[in-house]
Amino acid sequence: MLRTVSFRRWALIGSGAIAAATAGCDKPESKPPADPTKQVFDAFASRLDNYVKVRKTLTDSIGALDPTTSQAEITTRATGLATALIAARSQAKPGDIFTPEVATILATLIKQEYSRRPEPVQETRDDQQDELPDFVPQVNQVYPTTYPLATFPATLLPLLPPLPEYLEYRVVQHYLVLRDVEANVIVDVMPNAVPT
Amino acid sequence: MTFPPSIRTSRQPRRGAAVTAVAVTAVAVAVLTLVASVVTAAPASAQQLNLPRKDGSVRFLVLGDAGTGDREQYDVANQMVRYGRVFPFTFAIMLGDNIYGSERPQDFDKKFTRPYKVLLDADVEFHAALGNHDDPNQRYFKPFNLGGNRYRTFKKGNVRFFVIDSNYLDPAQVKWLEKELDASGSDWKIAYFHHPLYTTARRGPEVELRAILEPLFVKHGVDVVFTGHEHIYERLQPQQGIHYFTVGGAAKLRKGDTRPGPLIAARYDRDRSFLLAEVAGDSLYFQTINRKGATVDRGIVARREVRK
Repeated sequence: MLRTVSFRRWALIGSGAIAAATAGCDKPESKPPADPTKQVFDAFASRLDNYVKVRKTLTDSIGALDPTTSQAEITTRATGLATALIAARSQAKPGDIFTPEVATILATLIKQEYSRRPEPVQETRDDQQDELPDFVPQVNQVYPTTYPLATFPATLLPLLPPLPEYLEYRVVQHYLVLRDVEANVIVDVMPNAVPT
Repeated sequence: MTFPPSIRTSRQPRRGAAVTAVAVTAVAVAVLTLVASVVTAAPASAQQLNLPRKDGSVRFLVLGDAGTGDREQYDVANQMVRYGRVFPFTFAIMLGDNIYGSERPQDFDKKFTRPYKVLLDADVEFHAALGNHDDPNQRYFKPFNLGGNRYRTFKKGNVRFFVIDSNYLDPAQVKWLEKELDASGSDWKIAYFHHPLYTTARRGPEVELRAILEPLFVKHGVDVVFTGHEHIYERLQPQQGIHYFTVGGAAKLRKGDTRPGPLIAARYDRDRSFLLAEVAGDSLYFQTINRKGATVDRGIVARREVRK
């Protein structure tokens, strides 16, 4: 289920990003829609909601996971969920959730945030990425379990639209990755999202 | 919780021991390297212990970056057991990177259950935080006591612990933390998580996390912060009244990775280490011990409320 956090705040942030992204464009004067960014983020939320519905159908049949002393049980459940998700979304491709419209806004938000950060923060983020091997994330790929998960920049996270439970953002090189935490599956990728 | 009078724990054979076994097959080599020998660890002497062992005190073990499954992890675990004989602690806090590399059931056995078998058999509870090498599904592994959550709080005696997931500090977690800190009253407040807010080690401090977390810690009177990630031991000069420790060398080591300077109260980067702590009244006593059983740091921290 989607968290009950309004997208309005992120729509407002995104509006600023769009304004910055389109500043200087030589277009004829026309009255813009009331809030195009809100529409884009609403559509993003709707696509996430669709993913959650598919996921819920699968978890209803696989069953919820409660804390257990059996690591085998945890592994079996994660693998089962991953296999089911990949099968159910076998046609999924990059940009299905991070559509070009939302990707433009997110990339601008991220770029703006990165440009504001002080040098020590930049160094920290570079170091976080240094821990990752040369790894190109792909939709429906199981995130390699032997690789660390790069820490997500803590001051960037509040600027991005909220995600449903069990989904999280990750940064892998220049990609913004949408990852299912329990299944450890990459749900979508957005290339060139993060300045490197 | 009682430690058995004769402490026996499994131990990994020396790395590379099988290298000269030219005639054996690769499978046999793999089997050989997994065969655990049994050693006897003599208890530490009371003279080696610098903790007061006061009646009713809260006693715990601090370890970080432990889950390699290598010989060094087992060596350090043996020292934990030795000291546990003279300082019976009832629980351990794990500062993340609990399981490095693959996380198959046999990895949990090799990198957690086997090295800490004596402690687990003595009913020592392990309370884990998640590190960047940990699959968040570890929160479902009951012996880590995360209860299915990536972050949580628990209380022991007059000490309130805040377990934070520093890998993914989203707004929901920050909101939760503020609420829990606010509700924690006058208890000792100890926060622990993986990434250090201050360190002199090579990868450097997590200044983004610091910008978010430290104001909350200051506002709500957090006394002590334990972190790992850097494979060394550091104790900082108090920062805004908070005592920061990095205890990330329970298996891995970055030799020579700390630097002296005004930030540092104590540092140790020549071998692996862990820390024992005892909270008694308004004092937290600590003793940091290396892989050979030698004390490399010790001291007392006064509770923040008292210091005021």
